[in-house]
Amino acid sequence: MTHQHDDTMIKKIEDQLGSDFDAEIVAEVAEHMRDCPDCKIYVDSVKQTIKLFRVTETDTSVPEDVSDRLFKMLKLK
Amino acid sequence: MKKTVNNLMNQEAELIKLARAGDRSAQTELVKTHSARIYNLGLRIMRNEEDAEDVLQETFIIMLGKLDQFSGKSSLYTWLYRIATNIALQKLREKKKLDAEISVHEPNFEALRGSQLKEWPDHLEDKVNDEQFRHCLAVAMEDLPENYRAVFVLRDLENLSTKEAASVLSISEANVKVRLMRARLFLRDKLANHLKCVGDMR
Ligand SMILES: [Zn+2]
Repeated sequence: MTHQHDDTMIKKIEDQLGSDFDAEIVAEVAEHMRDCPDCKIYVDSVKQTIKLFRVTETDTSVPEDVSDRLFKMLKLK
Repeated sequence: MKKTVNNLMNQEAELIKLARAGDRSAQTELVKTHSARIYNLGLRIMRNEEDAEDVLQETFIIMLGKLDQFSGKSSLYTWLYRIATNIALQKLREKKKLDAEISVHEPNFEALRGSQLKEWPDHLEDKVNDEQFRHCLAVAMEDLPENYRAVFVLRDLENLSTKEAASVLSISEANVKVRLMRARLFLRDKLANHLKCVGDMR
């Protein structure tokens, strides 16, 4: 942020950045972002970051050999 | 819908009861139900298959050994997440001791207070098949210190709530939020740097 924000707004934005953007968006922060392109760009880039990791870190199933060793070690099956 | 969830929970409670009493097919069923989730968690925190397998094995040894200590107050998967996350973090700390000569620089979390901003290109998701870009994402996760990595994995990749993540990590909800914010900003800065380096992005 190249322009000045007071500490309470920074605190609110930081708090938002540690919460869910969709479910827990604070009205004041949403309103601020409508008037502040810098914050909007910043928050959007954080959202994009999360999305990128969610896209690349997809679920894998347990490989068969790993599963076999697991059950063998647990003496099950 | 609610009824189905309740049914599943009752079914699991029944399985846990049987497994505690030593019923092997119930034990097998519990391991089968939760192993993929724990394996993925292990992969995401440890960043390699060998360590993820160790986390998987150790988690279920502990589960079977301590099932009588499971209170049922939280759900079984939260309890398993706690066991697995603790094992993973312990392993990462041991590794760090071993590679002590590799210095882990402290991340700069102050970007919110004065970095130049440039809008990111749209449709970055299309870029994830680019090998160089994937490598950048992987390195960013590896560089993220483990306490922050665990929170990011639980909240943003495993979709746990703030409350659940706090319970898994035995820290306060406020602490989860602060760590999540820092983790996200750390990863964001790494990508921002990368995108600038690549040059052909815009
Ligand atoms: Zn602003």
